[in-house]
Amino acid sequence: MAQVARDGLKQVRPILSLDRDEARKRVLNLYKAWYRQLPYIVRQYDIPKNVNDCRNKLREEFTKHKDIRDIRIIDMLVIKGQMELKETVNIWKQKGHIMSYFKETIEPKPTDFLSKFLTSKD
Amino acid sequence: MLRQSLTKVLNGAQLSPKHIALITRSASDQAAKKPEKIEVFIDDIPVQVEPGTTVLQAAALVGVEIPRFCYHERLAVAGNCRMCLVEVEKSPKPVAACAMPVMKGWRIKTDSELTKKAREGIMEFLLVNHPLDCPICDQGGECDLQDQSMAFGSDRSRFTDIDHSGKRAVEDKDIGPLIKTIMTRCIHCTRCIRFASEVAGVDDLGTTGRGNDMQVGTYVEKMFLSELSGNIIDLCPVGALTSKPYSFTARPWEIRKIDSIDVLDAVGSNIVVSTRTGEVMRIMPRVNEEINEEWLPDKSRFSYDGLKRQRLVTPMLRDSKGELKPVDWEVALLTVAKQIKNAGSSIGAIAGGLADAEVLVAVKDLLNRVGSEALCTEHTFPLDGSGTDLRSSYLLNNKIAGAEEADFVLLIGTNPRLEAPLLNSRLRKGYVHNELDVALIGPKVDLRYKYAHLGDSPSILQQLVSGQHEVSKKLKSAKKPLIIVGSEVLERVDGGAILSAVQKLSASTSPEVENWKVLNVLHKVASQVAALDIGYTPGVDKIRELNPKVLLLLGADEASIEKSDLPNDGFIIYLGHHGDHGAAVADAILPGAAYTEKQATYVNTEGRAQQTLVAVSPPGRAREDWKIIRALSEIVGATLPYDNLNEIRDRLDEVAPHLTRYGAAENANFFKQAEALSKSIKTQIDNTPFDVKLKELQDYYMTDSISRASPTMAKCVQAVLKQKQSKY
Repeated sequence: MAQVARDGLKQVRPILSLDRDEARKRVLNLYKAWYRQLPYIVRQYDIPKNVNDCRNKLREEFTKHKDIRDIRIIDMLVIKGQMELKETVNIWKQKGHIMSYFKETIEPKPTDFLSKFLTSKD
Repeated sequence: MLRQSLTKVLNGAQLSPKHIALITRSASDQAAKKPEKIEVFIDDIPVQVEPGTTVLQAAALVGVEIPRFCYHERLAVAGNCRMCLVEVEKSPKPVAACAMPVMKGWRIKTDSELTKKAREGIMEFLLVNHPLDCPICDQGGECDLQDQSMAFGSDRSRFTDIDHSGKRAVEDKDIGPLIKTIMTRCIHCTRCIRFASEVAGVDDLGTTGRGNDMQVGTYVEKMFLSELSGNIIDLCPVGALTSKPYSFTARPWEIRKIDSIDVLDAVGSNIVVSTRTGEVMRIMPRVNEEINEEWLPDKSRFSYDGLKRQRLVTPMLRDSKGELKPVDWEVALLTVAKQIKNAGSSIGAIAGGLADAEVLVAVKDLLNRVGSEALCTEHTFPLDGSGTDLRSSYLLNNKIAGAEEADFVLLIGTNPRLEAPLLNSRLRKGYVHNELDVALIGPKVDLRYKYAHLGDSPSILQQLVSGQHEVSKKLKSAKKPLIIVGSEVLERVDGGAILSAVQKLSASTSPEVENWKVLNVLHKVASQVAALDIGYTPGVDKIRELNPKVLLLLGADEASIEKSDLPNDGFIIYLGHHGDHGAAVADAILPGAAYTEKQATYVNTEGRAQQTLVAVSPPGRAREDWKIIRALSEIVGATLPYDNLNEIRDRLDEVAPHLTRYGAAENANFFKQAEALSKSIKTQIDNTPFDVKLKELQDYYMTDSISRASPTMAKCVQAVLKQKQSKY
């Protein structure tokens, strides 16, 4: 039985972390790095948001992935997060790129019958 | 072209299981009767066939399609195009497969050198006088001549007439506003002539001259006066007869074809809607042996241009000056909902002839929720006796296909030629091939076959019931008698008494065939049967009694109720697709979708549920009808429990399960009970003679909001009237 289960599992090469603890450490490090950078981002990009808004958004972006258990996926998301951070800190981004985290221009799709009918998306 | 290729049919593609069952049943019946079968060999494949089978049919049995131009299954064999020549072993010359019955042991070679050479020769002869105008020909892309010259023609030309001196040229004919003729393209297959004389019963087309001088035409210049004239466009294997309204508008390879159902009469013919760039380009018939075979009447085929005119494209409200002003959906729905809330249960609805089952159910649910039962149909039906409680009293019980098997038909107060042209073509088929006798009580009309006109007085019906009329004996002795009552005579005040008399009369007959149903009611509009099935009250009397504050018209355009029938502060809502009478009297207009723009259920006069499919989207801000009612219900505060098509179809299924069994006709069998209940009817038949609205061909073309908006139909009326003036 154990043999069958072992055969079913596939050994994969780790991306960065070897276990959950290590992955968790990387996530927290990334979170802290972003958190410390937020006041500078708000000032340098001159966005119409205060530091508190940005902290909430940062927390939201991280908690979006709270249910992910696969270490390799966590690692990959951390790598992407670092890239984003680097682009932001080096001003490789522009104001719009930062604001796009807030999705202010995207209208929510109608879900109930009446609003679908009135917006002619039935 | 229209017909499925035989190979496809034999492989079972596109054939409904019912259809296959039908074929196998008839085959097994015949096998029981005639054990003697003969064996022939098609390309060395042995096949057992009935004696009298033609070579072409025998080849079809093994899946070999022999090319043909003049042969057509539903028409007599002409054998004049010679395209179907095949070699038969030990026969000195090739034989015409469509006309030659097979003999025992024949070895037929459909792919031999001789056969190929014969085909190439025939094709060369046909093309000698055929103009090479495929690029400007409307038939291009769906032309039998084009296809077969590619498949069976010679691969090189012997055309030497570089001076263009020799091709035959023929003058074009003017045979009306529907059919365009380019007679130079004609290959003299005579399909149109045979259709006109055999199916349509209008013997106007014929040939003059012989050999190279042969011409197909009407001898004198006259219109082809038939309600089935459009079918010769489909029959024509080349581009000699094409559709005038469709000319130069689209090519077959750039259009999308959507299967649908015709709703302009109560027959429910199956159609294919061709669309391009969000417009309906043309409508063609789809084969359904049980309903329309492969024909389609002219109103159904050509009134599609009415779908683009006079349309309601935006919600409208009547302002203080009494003018209808466009508003957006939100405002319209809020205003209408306010009126409905204020009216309380004092609200009624009238369903017109084009309403589909979905909207009928939605409106009934909505009105029931606000406490009203005043749901009516525009077309009346007697309510005395069993009324509309028993379906057998209001259906064409014996089915449309059953009409051609009858041996005696009594028509009462109907003109089937114009009310249901395809039922009439079935009757004509029975008259021509089955020695059917037809008698008619009602105004003397032209049905294109001989019938005994008994007069138009209701007293004749009474004489028949009491068995004193001279026809009574014939009716009683008939093995397969049919009585077809027009819905129009049942709309009279004494309709109940007439229906009861007809029920009595049908009960007195003695059909010898099991499950043969004598009593048949022929409706004129597509929505009526579904509305009665769902539980609408026929006729608008109930509305007049109730005098409701709010009246909802579901495409009711026949002016059955006027503003004066409502209280002074009465509010009329019109839900429909055309700006016709109903929209003119309305205080609020909610634009709906026409039958080509929605997936909707219709029940035809036999009680067969069928559905249309979406071919194009509704114009402007128009929406699917039942969705408007659903949205309105939410604002009124009586939300209907369905949000999408599947959910409303489930509701249809709850109300009456046959409404969602598409393609199947649900039988109704309570004739005895209906007759017993009808004995309680006290009213007497009065002596006003029976009458029908549609008497002559010019009355046929414009009968509903779509065909009234159609310029082509208007041209037809003009042309028919002009033809009546002509001395021919």
